[in-house]
Amino acid sequence: MPGAPLPEFSSSVRLKYVKLGYQHLVDNFATFLSIPVMVAVGLELVRRGPQEMVGLWRALELDVIHILCSVFVIVFVATAYFMSRPRPVYLVEYACFKPPSNCRVPFSTFMEHTRLINSDEKSVQFQMRILERSGLGEETCLPPANHYIPPHPTMEASRAEAQLVIFSAIDDLIRKTGLKPKDIDILVVNCSLFSPTPSLSAMIINKYKLRSNIRSFNLSGMGCSAGLISIDLARDLLQVHPGSNALVISTEIITPNFYAGNQRAMLLPNCLFRMGAAAILLSNRRRDAGRAKYRLVHVVRTHKGADDRAYRCVYEEEDAEGHTGISLSKDLMAIAGEALKSNITTIGPLVLPMSEQLLFFLTLVARKLINPKRKPYIPDFKKAFEHFCIHAGGRAVIDELQKNLELSAEHVEASRMTLHRFGNTSSSSLWYELNYIESKGRMRRGDRVWQIGFGSGFKCNSAVWKCLRSVRTPVDGPWSDCILRYPVHIPEVVKL
Amino acid sequence: MHTVLSVDAMELLWTIATVLFLYSSLSFLWKAFDCRRNQNCYLVDYVCYKPSDDRKLSTELYSDVIKRNKRLSMPDYKFHLKVVVNFGISEETYGPRSIIEGREESPTLDDCDDEVDDCMYSTLDELFRRTGISSGDVDVLVVNISMFTPDPSLTSRIVNRDKMREDVKTFNLSGMGCSASPIANDLVNNVFKTRKRTLAVVITSESIAPNWYCGTDKSMMLGNSLFRSGGCSFMLTNDPSLKHLAKMSLKCLVRAHSGANDDAYSCAMQKEDTDGRVGFHLSKSLPKVAVRAFTENLQTLAPNVLPVGELALYVIRGLRHRLRRSKETKADAGTAVRVNFKSGVEHFCLHTGGAAVIDAVGSALGLNKYDVEPARMTLHRWGNTSASSLWYVLSYMEAKKRLRRKDRVLMLSFGAGFKCNSYLWEVLRDLEDGGAWEDCIEAYPPNP
Repeated sequence: MPGAPLPEFSSSVRLKYVKLGYQHLVDNFATFLSIPVMVAVGLELVRRGPQEMVGLWRALELDVIHILCSVFVIVFVATAYFMSRPRPVYLVEYACFKPPSNCRVPFSTFMEHTRLINSDEKSVQFQMRILERSGLGEETCLPPANHYIPPHPTMEASRAEAQLVIFSAIDDLIRKTGLKPKDIDILVVNCSLFSPTPSLSAMIINKYKLRSNIRSFNLSGMGCSAGLISIDLARDLLQVHPGSNALVISTEIITPNFYAGNQRAMLLPNCLFRMGAAAILLSNRRRDAGRAKYRLVHVVRTHKGADDRAYRCVYEEEDAEGHTGISLSKDLMAIAGEALKSNITTIGPLVLPMSEQLLFFLTLVARKLINPKRKPYIPDFKKAFEHFCIHAGGRAVIDELQKNLELSAEHVEASRMTLHRFGNTSSSSLWYELNYIESKGRMRRGDRVWQIGFGSGFKCNSAVWKCLRSVRTPVDGPWSDCILRYPVHIPEVVKL
Repeated sequence: MHTVLSVDAMELLWTIATVLFLYSSLSFLWKAFDCRRNQNCYLVDYVCYKPSDDRKLSTELYSDVIKRNKRLSMPDYKFHLKVVVNFGISEETYGPRSIIEGREESPTLDDCDDEVDDCMYSTLDELFRRTGISSGDVDVLVVNISMFTPDPSLTSRIVNRDKMREDVKTFNLSGMGCSASPIANDLVNNVFKTRKRTLAVVITSESIAPNWYCGTDKSMMLGNSLFRSGGCSFMLTNDPSLKHLAKMSLKCLVRAHSGANDDAYSCAMQKEDTDGRVGFHLSKSLPKVAVRAFTENLQTLAPNVLPVGELALYVIRGLRHRLRRSKETKADAGTAVRVNFKSGVEHFCLHTGGAAVIDAVGSALGLNKYDVEPARMTLHRWGNTSASSLWYVLSYMEAKKRLRRKDRVLMLSFGAGFKCNSYLWEVLRDLEDGGAWEDCIEAYPPNP
């Protein structure tokens, strides 16, 4: 568009204030409407005077029965309203697994192992290029079985990893909350790629001697977005069972999933996936409302599996030599973007302020009726949320979402730093990111958090939390020994 | 003020009392109403999987498969055959194609996919056809297959094939053993209570192809002999407008998990043997563990299932027994007080874990030959199809036209963990569908 830059700037400044004013008007419309009404009533009262008001009251000829009945009706309606509302679900506390330093896999170790295990030089070079651009740091960890040359993926080793990560997280949670294992009413475990019989939920019940009437569920194969699926299930269960608490475990067990072949699309998970686990305590008990950190506001699930391209983009298959691995297609970013758009269409109306929704609706109408070439209006989600936890699936995913949602570098800092420090820990990554935000002292009472998870299927799941009390630093968690070093600058390419 | 206060004190008290009474009774009614909303869980229909005849695993074919395992000695081989013969299964049970075609030691991912796909797709297509409901109307989808979890999950596979909606709630349960069917049902039931007019489809099956044991550990060889191919898809809803289509209504569901006990946790476990081969280990303490889990389940189930009269009789009999025991010598004591479950339940779907399991559970519940016949016949015709076995037993009862309106059906199963889960259904209308038994029901029970 031709024109001198200065006039454009001043007009854009004026527009900015107009937009702000408009937003305030629409968001507080009800209040604005009620002000003239209240003013009018107040004036009338003052005009009439107190004597007349008493006379008016007497003229109604209310006796005790009328008063009591009206009070009764009001109280009854209020009780019915409060009792029929959904029970609030509180996040009392959560704990993330902190990997021991002897499991660390710096780039040099990873490349050395890769060269010794893999004879194909092209595959080795490919993995090196992936690692250089991955956004991972030098402190990410792999389980002990993967440190063997070649890796030693037995069922026993997989169970050992599961015990290490899950029990550490739960022990940490118990220590922080004083939770008694016999008090747990609901247990939901999600682990995509390792599902022994008896399940991991049975393993937890055995170790902590949980009650025999516990409602346990073990979800598997549901990908990196399964953490939010577990939260959704726990929420439904907590709606049905009053006075209960739920323990949700999100993890991914790396041991059995090392890919030993040479297919490029299937080598990516070897480079990106790392050890991690999170244990989350949810409750609907009133007495936990005082000590809870967050309240669950919404969970929205979107499944794009009906589209063949989306279904195939993260796919477990065998290569020509019979090695099993997870193949990531080149369309992954585009599909993630589409899945996010679908999820936003559902969650937008639930969380966006009225002003944004109106703007979006009006722009849509304008595009359809007046000018199809007009740019679509991307709702400003920064007005709905203070913090964003985007699944640290990889650098490209975070870049794509930052662009799509028009977020600043600070908004995606938690995701980038988690990818750097812990790697892609699959479904538990959202909890490491939340812990980063808390450790930085940024979490204040009333702040709203948006957790977005993507996973095979292709699914995009969102959860919205509201912070109930400011979190004071220092925070006891996986970031406690390194938070002061963060944020770090992550170069585009780290030359190996 | 003058007019207001001139009311009689007694009248005032009376008015207050009336108002309080009205308020508390209305609150109580409201709470009861609120609890009962979306409470119903109707079984619209179910379809049991019938594999094609080329997948029949006769004893001869089975012994050929075992002979291919060169690590087994002659005594091992005889043990295998003895187990199969004593188990009580016929020549008509089904196995996966990869085992029959000789690939039992190295099944490919395609073999595993094909086995599971065949079951899921054929039963789902039939279910949608019979109910006239389309896949786009499904709100909740649950799949439970214990020992095979590909990525994307099996639920995603079905969403892709049947083009389900974007907001469908999927849950893929895994690792929960032979008792996973009630668990899937519990999940759906809980989701039903939080939303109105919801339709759910549950698929329950087991994957045998990737789990064939190729070693020499006897405790793990049992798994090979016992498990056979089978599966079931069923449709549930809490929509009252679909009640006229529904077959049964869920009354009560009880789950008991004895995993806190170490013996219970490790008695049925998938693990590696000393040579590093993965198999399903069944320990000798399994019967004892099962009894304990069963007792625990019954303790919660009985008050919900039995009529008040029977419970009162049980209490009286128990007291009398205790009084008698205090007077008698040690030698006479020992007869436990039995509860007659048949007073509250007409039909029993018992998990077909084996002839011994069925007999033991039957005698504990006070059942006769007629009552355990469906379970025995299911074991004979289909083998132990793991989580879906309860549905084959139900299908037998339906094919034999035993299920009449207002009858109550108790489904009871055991599974790794160790769990004992049970649920009680009430039949809504006279049922006469032959289902998977259609072509062979006339031959059952076979003449001795």
